[in-house]
Amino acid sequence: MLSQEQNDRLTRTGPGTPLGRLFRSYWIPALLSAELPEPDCPPVRVRLLSERMIAFRDSEGRLGLLDEFCAHRGVSLWFGRNEECGLRCSYHGWKYDVTGQCVDMPNEPEHSAFARKVRLKSYPLAERGGVLWTYMGPPASQPPLPEYEFATVAAAHSFVSKRQQECNWLQAMEGGIDSSHVSFLHRSDLKTDPLFKGTRGNRYNLSDTRPVFEVVESDGGLYIGARRNAEHGDYYWRITQWVMPSYTMIPPRGGHPIHGHFWIPIDDENCWTWSFDYHPTRALTDAEVAAMRDGKGIHVKYVPGTYRPLANKDNDYLMDRVAQREGRTFSGIEGFAMQDASLQESMGPIVDRTKETLVSTDSGIIMARQRLLRAVRALEESGATPPGVDTAHQRVRSASVVLPSDQSYQDAAREALIAHPGVEPATV
Amino acid sequence: MTEFRIQAQPPTGRVIRTINLDTADERDVAQLVAGVADADLVVMIVGAGNDAHAAAIIGEACSARRVMTHTAIVRAAHATDEALSRTLAQVRPWSLMVVVANEDDYVNDILKSFR
Repeated sequence: MLSQEQNDRLTRTGPGTPLGRLFRSYWIPALLSAELPEPDCPPVRVRLLSERMIAFRDSEGRLGLLDEFCAHRGVSLWFGRNEECGLRCSYHGWKYDVTGQCVDMPNEPEHSAFARKVRLKSYPLAERGGVLWTYMGPPASQPPLPEYEFATVAAAHSFVSKRQQECNWLQAMEGGIDSSHVSFLHRSDLKTDPLFKGTRGNRYNLSDTRPVFEVVESDGGLYIGARRNAEHGDYYWRITQWVMPSYTMIPPRGGHPIHGHFWIPIDDENCWTWSFDYHPTRALTDAEVAAMRDGKGIHVKYVPGTYRPLANKDNDYLMDRVAQREGRTFSGIEGFAMQDASLQESMGPIVDRTKETLVSTDSGIIMARQRLLRAVRALEESGATPPGVDTAHQRVRSASVVLPSDQSYQDAAREALIAHPGVEPATV
Repeated sequence: MTEFRIQAQPPTGRVIRTINLDTADERDVAQLVAGVADADLVVMIVGAGNDAHAAAIIGEACSARRVMTHTAIVRAAHATDEALSRTLAQVRPWSLMVVVANEDDYVNDILKSFR
């Protein structure tokens, strides 16, 4: 459990909040590149860390992320015209370039210089790995661009999607480091999902439902090792990576792509769940990409024209009690993503952690919270750069390995937990 | 939040026994083992590289009574990987949960989290 004060500290990310300042130390995913596909395409509304912004790609292909509202009378620039290297407000024609600088003010006298004095707040927007990333912190502290492996492999090696999740970011992220739920909530899907099924590791997962955990601090966050019995007294280890503040990597299964998530606050009661699949050494197959587009694995089907999952709280996540009774799903909800999201949203917009009854297997979650609280305090007290900002902390991999019982995964799988370009992942 | 859930704390009555293996002597270990039957969770604390042979005695008693065991290893900055591995090898067979932390105040935070 946490105190109310700690819970507030870990769940509020708006401007001026302690955790908001921490999140503003990192490059975070803002949009899919496909949302701004070409110069002068329609602008897109963006809400992150409780700030409302507008993103656009200008006539030269440059990217801009600005305050959503015109400096004149507060109209949303989403109605604006993206033309001739700027976004022009539809109300009185004020026009802004990608830096937020007002470059035209047609309702002022023809040679007025006033436009030069008007500038909207803007943040950098950079493209990498099919994602448009933003940094919302002080310009003087802007770190190098992110180097998470999924964002640095060739485009054909990766697939990225996002979905809106209707709850606070932390309870969503905590699901990503809670390895013990897999043997229950997702047990049926391990056998049937095209992006998970058919691996030796699944057999260990399903035959030993009481994993033993080892949680170890890493430079950027945590390693969360889950140990299950394998043959001949060996152990099957699944090692999840958590990199601060909200990047998680699920251990791989056989030859399937590696997958994971980013959990990014939209505001305090909603977040973006970013989901990526990639393979370090090969292109994804057409069948894999088709399955991802069809909502398999950790991806979802959408309400058309939105990033809201088709199964959502307004339709009880398409609950299927027959499938639940017959054991085709454990919770009655279809698919990994919505199995998780339905339960996390059921906790309420911000779960009340003063009422939890945590057990030992929640130690990964406990440690993650404590690392976040320490980083927030260090940033407040001394301006210390938080773990996970250093790109070396981002160049990591999850792994699944079978080891003799007397070997530590921290030693035996040390190299497997680092992203070495072109090297096969360690996977069972 | 207050509109969402009945404002009542779920009771647990959980009994947690803790022991610092770095400072415990045989009497402390025997005392803990004698009280294991009433415990829901036993937390062992040890520094990386330090002797943790008592984990086997405690772990055996917990295993016989189906009591959850949790070990927190505190890794000082000077502790080598080999030192950590030695301690891990001693506690791993007897711990259903192991946490390796770089600061000892994490241990208090973990215990508070279990309430």
